[in-house]
Amino acid sequence: MTTERRFDWIGFLSRYGTILSLVLLIAIFSYGRPEVFPTIRNMFNILNQVSILGIIALGLTVCLVVGLFDLSIGAMATFGGYFAARFLAELDSGSVWIVALVVVAVLALAMLIGMINGALNSYLGLSPIVETLAMSFIVTGIILGVSGGRTVSSNDIPMAFQLIGQGRIYGIPAPVLILIATGILLWLFLEHTQSGRNMYAIGGNREASRLSGISFQKYAVMAMAITAACAALGGLVAGANLGAGRPQGVGDTYLLNAFVAVFIGASTLRPGKFHVLGTAVGVLLIGVINNGLSVMGVQTFWQYIVQGSILILALISASMNSVRRN
Amino acid sequence: MDGTVDDHPTTTDLAPSLEVRAMRKEFPGTLALDNVSLSVRRGEIHALLGENGAGKSTLIKCICGAYAPTAGEVFVEGQPATFSTPKGATDAGIAVVHQHFNLVPTLTVAENLWLGDPLPGRLGLVDWPRVHARARDILASLGLDIPTHAEIGSLRPDQLAMISIAKAVSGNARIIILDEPTNALLPHEVDRLFDQMRRLAARGHSFLYVSHRLAEVFQIADRATVLRDGRNAGVFDRENMDRRSVVEAIVGKKGALAERKTHSQARPDVVMQVRDLAGARTAGVSFELRAGEIVGVAGLPGSGAEEVLSLLFGRERRKGGSVTIQGKPAALRSPAEAIAAGIALVPQDRLAEAVFHGQSIRANISMPSLARYLREPVLRLINRAAESTATREVATRMRVRMPGIETAIDDLSGGNQQKVVLGRWLSTGARIFLLNSPTAAVDVGAKAEIYDLIHELAADGVGVIFASTELEEYPLVCDSVLVFSGGRVVGKLTGVEITESNIMTLAAGGDLHDDH
Repeated sequence: MTTERRFDWIGFLSRYGTILSLVLLIAIFSYGRPEVFPTIRNMFNILNQVSILGIIALGLTVCLVVGLFDLSIGAMATFGGYFAARFLAELDSGSVWIVALVVVAVLALAMLIGMINGALNSYLGLSPIVETLAMSFIVTGIILGVSGGRTVSSNDIPMAFQLIGQGRIYGIPAPVLILIATGILLWLFLEHTQSGRNMYAIGGNREASRLSGISFQKYAVMAMAITAACAALGGLVAGANLGAGRPQGVGDTYLLNAFVAVFIGASTLRPGKFHVLGTAVGVLLIGVINNGLSVMGVQTFWQYIVQGSILILALISASMNSVRRN
Repeated sequence: MDGTVDDHPTTTDLAPSLEVRAMRKEFPGTLALDNVSLSVRRGEIHALLGENGAGKSTLIKCICGAYAPTAGEVFVEGQPATFSTPKGATDAGIAVVHQHFNLVPTLTVAENLWLGDPLPGRLGLVDWPRVHARARDILASLGLDIPTHAEIGSLRPDQLAMISIAKAVSGNARIIILDEPTNALLPHEVDRLFDQMRRLAARGHSFLYVSHRLAEVFQIADRATVLRDGRNAGVFDRENMDRRSVVEAIVGKKGALAERKTHSQARPDVVMQVRDLAGARTAGVSFELRAGEIVGVAGLPGSGAEEVLSLLFGRERRKGGSVTIQGKPAALRSPAEAIAAGIALVPQDRLAEAVFHGQSIRANISMPSLARYLREPVLRLINRAAESTATREVATRMRVRMPGIETAIDDLSGGNQQKVVLGRWLSTGARIFLLNSPTAAVDVGAKAEIYDLIHELAADGVGVIFASTELEEYPLVCDSVLVFSGGRVVGKLTGVEITESNIMTLAAGGDLHDDH
């Protein structure tokens, strides 16, 4: 309790280490390519590049908060992108209302699948890792079966839908706006509503929350529905951006990066805790690494090495903090 | 000192198999063992008795090398045998069989008997026939009929106990320390275990038997050593081992003299009526709880006292009976229903069952009552300012010593954490508090504060049901005590009758008016 204490480096690094490395990387890239990297244009570029990953990672944060796991987010992203395009192609209408209806319908379907995940994991107590992996096979199979492996081509998809991925409002890309809106909504939900607080309680101590009258089952279903819906939304934005409904290969690229972002986030500001702001930092870190290294003309393999090293450093700082607590 | 010192010549071989002389063990701030002596003869079943915290576990750990004693010596068969590692004690022939038997449930009997030894091999593969052959020999030498291919998880508790003992004996242990081996056993399983122990004792093995269950001790023990507050409090031979003197040695005179609760704050209105409550291990439990009344439920582990709390809070489904709260029948099928019915629970294991780790004091207090601070019913956004004000009030009322309500609960002392856990129920409108060892793992000063808080709750008209692993707490806290044994209420003590020795006597299956 004395004020004459030495500066707490471990505590500092485990809270601000990831933000520090984000600032450091931005500084390095800005120094390396001052005419390209630190421009408004490139900043929007980075945000645009990470928006889809960001939407999926934010959703994943919710299910990790309750202590569950979701490996089906990759398949769910493909699901969102393919079925939105396919439904619109079948309906063959350019109406904004039809587009809105299809988006809502696809997200509702994704929520339903997430609720099934949540119910299987909580009521039956299945292992979330294996169960969601199994669910991702099923979802992938359904997409392949329905599509016959054929991509829905750009000509069959109304412009109103493609604007979700390609449009701009006041010069800001639509995917970035969707990312920001998702972030704000989930931040409000997790930090400032009773449901969010109950989810943190369950993730922190499931038995104590049961004894406080909080239903694990209810919040598991709710959390996994949100995670699945966000994954589908991310895939849907990706499809709109691409202007095509691809039946495979869409979500797979995001699955592991989303986990990386969320775990980097859990060692940011509040060590050991999954939270929206942390996930946002993790996503930005990934975006800055990828963009910066390619702007610098560094070969792609370095992106993997740098990203992996930063994740390991983040995990070390988080574990040092928890070791010290004990 | 009660009882007699070990100077009677008896029929058993007199050379002590295990002897402890003037053992002393200090921990920072406490003296756990003070000049403790113990002598176990060859072929003897020797009981080690005492309350929680009397020093039994510390003594065992000093004997088996888990702790280094501050002073004092251990002798095995007359040879100095003070060990600084568990391995040294094992090599000298001392084995400890713990309550949970240290067996791996997913492996077979044979694999467990070999655990820790290198398995015999043939051509680089395990020689299974030899593994099972030796396992069969070990079991047969103790007269045990247990298939060596059986999985440990599929066996009865008494078989597990015997396999643990067999494992110890096969490792050439001559002195076997049994730590509460009968907790999980049914009465006829206890009998089978005792038969086996007597057979081994007749062959010259010695047992140091730790138990709370006095009835069993009288049944099996040749002699008994009692510890109290880290000191010897008596040695009893079979002839002078009567219930009254043993209980008195265990609890001491303080049981009668402790500062007890003097006046009840009970009011006439009944807040909860329990009729014929039945659960997995209890039956026919009936009582009334009045506003402001503090009723204790006491008993040995597994007696059903604790289960009553679980049943009333909906952690376990009841099998029969009815509960009426303020005149209305209450189903109590889940903790959520119990909370809605106005019940609060402080569970025994604070860290595993009550504390939300890494979260603030504010969040820990408001968790069950968040619905009170909502801005609106649809999005259920929380009014943080209202939440902070209310939780700060609770923390102040519970006299939580803290830098502020945003401090993480993990940074508080055990006593202050417990005040937070108790305080979280002030805002849910609970009128019935179920407290299970609310002072477990808190320091002495905080204990007194928690007693005060419990009495303040009662003064406010809350009905309290209190359970504790420390019997000395009942006279300090309770207006009346229901004593459980074998899943039933075997006695009710009120006022000055509430003493540790009365509780212990009833809980051990005795009669208060029977002195023998």
